[in-house]
Amino acid sequence: MHRFLLLALLLPSLGFAADPQFELFIHNHKFEPEELHVPAGKRIKLTVINRDPTPEEFESYELHREQLVPGNARGTVYIGPLAPGRYPFFGDFHPKTTTGVVIAE
Amino acid sequence: MRQSIVLAVGAAALTLSRLCLAGPADYVYTPIVEYGEREIDFKAGRANTDGAEPLSAASLGLGYSWKPHWFTEFYAKYESEGSGATRFDAWEWENRFQLWDTGEYPVDAGFVVELERPQNHDEGYEVRFGPLFQSDFGKVQLNGNLLFGRNYRAAASAPMQFGYQWQVKYRWAEAFEFGLQGFGDVGPWDNWDPADRQSHRFGPAVFGKLPAGVHKAIRYNAALLLKASSGAPDSTFRMQLEYEF
Repeated sequence: MHRFLLLALLLPSLGFAADPQFELFIHNHKFEPEELHVPAGKRIKLTVINRDPTPEEFESYELHREQLVPGNARGTVYIGPLAPGRYPFFGDFHPKTTTGVVIAE
Repeated sequence: MRQSIVLAVGAAALTLSRLCLAGPADYVYTPIVEYGEREIDFKAGRANTDGAEPLSAASLGLGYSWKPHWFTEFYAKYESEGSGATRFDAWEWENRFQLWDTGEYPVDAGFVVELERPQNHDEGYEVRFGPLFQSDFGKVQLNGNLLFGRNYRAAASAPMQFGYQWQVKYRWAEAFEFGLQGFGDVGPWDNWDPADRQSHRFGPAVFGKLPAGVHKAIRYNAALLLKASSGAPDSTFRMQLEYEF
């Protein structure tokens, strides 16, 4: 039990190389950019910056992520490591206009 | 006579503590909190054992992730035995905490703390807590949880119980995913029951999410759990239905 707790406490301090970082903007209920090219095989730190006054939710079944970003705020989404391919995402509050795709290559 | 009453109450308390960790309507916790999500949550289950009355349980809850890493939910719980009437069983307050952002590390981790006030005040207060873990391997999602539970201020004292949950799920499509779930209860955390008294069960499970409008969805999961030890019911059917809005 004590070894298990020690491992759980040490997990966050394990040394990982800095993850590639990208920014994704939400403006007028659209993502900018709509296509996000990222390296395959690496964990990606995605900062979603919502420039609209209303909340939006970054959602993607393919990426297995749902992240609410309040209006005029930012949120962090970690994705990957991804195999090469296309991974669509959308804004759950405005799914018809707020769409995009992550292209891992 | 007094000693036999004390023994009977003690045995009941132990049984109740065991049900605290592996009841028929239990579900597998996940450490992921979806900030801003509100839900109406219905759970039900029925455990069958040859030669005994089936035990059914259900709960109806209202939940809200009011902080990015904190989900809270209040439940009303009900139970029935055999063909007997359904009776109110307890109020429950569940809190789940996500320890870091999803995907920030290879394993996502969280913590659950539940407080239950049974209708039968002889059961005192039930507290359940433990760490929650989740990891993805491609389209396969793995979950594993360790649970501790104990009754406080009960008519008869009982030791802290230890149990576990696990599931493996293949994310085939958003509306339909499939896999396996398992639940177990080994008895006192520091002095496990003999193997023939422990409860271990597992079986096939299905999961899915169906759209129900803009920013609304219905989530479901269900499993048929079969006994893997003498102390478990022969079979348990459990299900959960959530309306998220």
